[in-house]
Order: sequence, then structure tokens, then C-alpha cells
Amino acid sequence: MENRSMANQKPGKDNFTRNIVIAVVVGVVLIMLVPTLLSKQTNTSAKVPASVSADRGYGIVFNEELTGVPVIEIYEDFQCPVCAQFEKLQGDYIESLITAKKATVVYHTLSFLGPESVNAANAAACSADEGKFLGYHRALYANQPAENTGVWSNDVLGILGQAAGITSKSFTSCVNNMNYQGWVSNAAAAGAKANVNSTPTVFINGKEINRQTEYFSADKFKAAVERG
Amino acid sequence: MKRYLPWVGLICRLGLGGVLLAAGLLKYQHLDKSQMAVRAYEMLPISVANFLGIILPFVEIAVGVLLIIGAAVRISAFVSGALMIAFIIGISQAWARGLSIDCGCFGGGGQVEPGTANYLPELLRDGGLALMAIYLFRYPQSKFGLDRQRKDGEQING
Repeated sequence: MENRSMANQKPGKDNFTRNIVIAVVVGVVLIMLVPTLLSKQTNTSAKVPASVSADRGYGIVFNEELTGVPVIEIYEDFQCPVCAQFEKLQGDYIESLITAKKATVVYHTLSFLGPESVNAANAAACSADEGKFLGYHRALYANQPAENTGVWSNDVLGILGQAAGITSKSFTSCVNNMNYQGWVSNAAAAGAKANVNSTPTVFINGKEINRQTEYFSADKFKAAVERG
Repeated sequence: MKRYLPWVGLICRLGLGGVLLAAGLLKYQHLDKSQMAVRAYEMLPISVANFLGIILPFVEIAVGVLLIIGAAVRISAFVSGALMIAFIIGISQAWARGLSIDCGCFGGGGQVEPGTANYLPELLRDGGLALMAIYLFRYPQSKFGLDRQRKDGEQING
């Protein structure tokens, strides 16, 4: 009786079938892995939008030429709700630093929240070509939908350009053709190398500001910038 | 060999394999986040963490599928047990060091608001899964698996 349950295993269940099955499972997984690893390589031939610096982790740079001013690096994902709060609170101040030439500002548009983040980052790169990145940046956050609900299709992102005063055909075709998809993944890889583990993440002169206090206080953020 | 043990084995295989397959597939959807999750444990050099963040979902998927179909149960149980122990070490050290991170167990990951991390349920779950893996390593024979069994109930294949 003890062995009945084992003894009725079918004779067809031999090593051959089992080994074939194991080989297929492991093989399929390896075949999936290879293109994934390749896609994570930095593609140096990818098209780069205006004012992007590969040396600065493929970020979109303002006031690159200035010296002796603080360098503010912002890692963000256009779908991240906390990034929208950060933009709402600090966005005007950061833009004023850019226009007054009081800081070098680098925007790193990450895309880890999903495909619509990739769409939005690509569209933002297209807006940089039109010289309207800051306006479009603002428009994206002002119209941020819930994550990956299908709202940020390329059609919608193209129309959203109007909110930033972008009306050109080249912008909509750049958005629809995902011209900067390669750049978006390069920017993501650079963010991974910079050990950015949440968004928004802000570095001032290469050091992250205090997550507990300095992100969401206008005064403390300003103090952190001025401290440099 | 008791008669019910192969059924216990089946439950362990499906439970452990199902969890691993689900976790792997969810991570596979967002590999950037998977990399971020591994980095946030602050245990490994950044480049190693980034590499592991890509590899891990694939290992989970492969081991999960093998456990569910019941092929190479012993090896799969060993690998998943090692994974669970590694996860338990990672989560424990994050807790001990006061890091605020999402474990990234089923996708997600990275830093979270201080005080919102909840490590105990994660540790209990991984502990339970580790026990299933240890059981399967010790008694790999189970119902409806592909591995061949000897008449005396001992496993032939590893």
C-alpha cells in the first residue's frame, strides 16, 4: 500500500520528456533575457534632443555655460504624482533661477513608471527641440493623469504642446514617431548608474538634498540651493 | 513514504512556483523599477545591483515554471530556497539599518516615505516560502510532476 501512489506513475514520464521540457523552459527564458540585456546598453548613436549633454547623464541642461553657480540636477518621471507636487511647489523658483542665470539646471526624465512615462519623456525631448521644454514640462505636470491609464497617448501629448505654445508640425511628428525613444532609455540607464531610487530626486552640486526636510519646503529648498 | 506526502509536495510546488512566476512576471514588466528595487537595499555595488535587477525576474520565471510543471524539482527548490534566504537577509538588513524601502518583491521598489515601510509581513511570507522550498528539497516527489519517481518513492533525478 505504501508504494501504490508512486507506482502508478505513467511509464511515459521518462527522462527524455523531462529533459526536453527543462531545456525548453531554460532556453525560452534565456532567449528573452538576451534582447533585454542588449536594450539596456547605452546606445551612443541614439538621436539626442537639443540642449542634452551625454556627459551629464543625458539630461536636458539649462545654463550649461555658467560657472560658479549651483548645479541642480532633477530626476523625475512625468507620471509620478510626488514629482507633480514638487513641480507645483518649487517649479516657479527653479525656472526663475534659470531665467536669472543663477543656476545650472539639469532635468533627467526617467521613465520607470511605465510606457506612458516613455511617451511623455519622448514628447518632452521633442519640446526641447522647439525651445519650449520648460513650458511643456509645466503643461505635463498640470495635466498629469493617473498612472498608465492610457490617457497619455502620443496624440494627446502632441495636442498638449499647444498648452506650451508649440504649434509646429515637426513637434507632433517627433512625438508620434517616438524620435527620442533611444535617448529615453539612455537617460534611464544613466539614472540607474547615478543610484536614483525614487522620484523626484534632487542633487545640488552632486549631493542629494535632505529627503525629510528640503524637498517640500520652499524656504529650506531655497536655502539648500543657496548653500550650494 | 506516507501517502499524503506527494500531495503536500504538489501544494508546495504550486504555491512556491506560482508566487515566483507571478513575482518574476510583474518585475519583468518594469525592469527599471526592478533595478531600482535592488539598488535601494544598499547592499551591492551599483553596477552589480543593476545587473541583478535585470537577471532576477528571469530566474524567478524559469524556476517558477519548472516548479509548477514539476521538472527538476530538487534543483528548482534549491534555487528558490537560496533566493528566499537572500531576500530575508536583504529585508532584515534594510529593517535593521532603518532604510525606508519597498521590498520590490512583486514589482515596485525603491525608497518610500519614511515610516511607511512594513517589513514584518514580508519576512513572514518569505520565511513561509523558504520552508516550502526546504520541504521540496528534502521530499521532491509529488503528484502530477514530470520528474520520474522510483517505485520506492525516492527521487531519481535531482
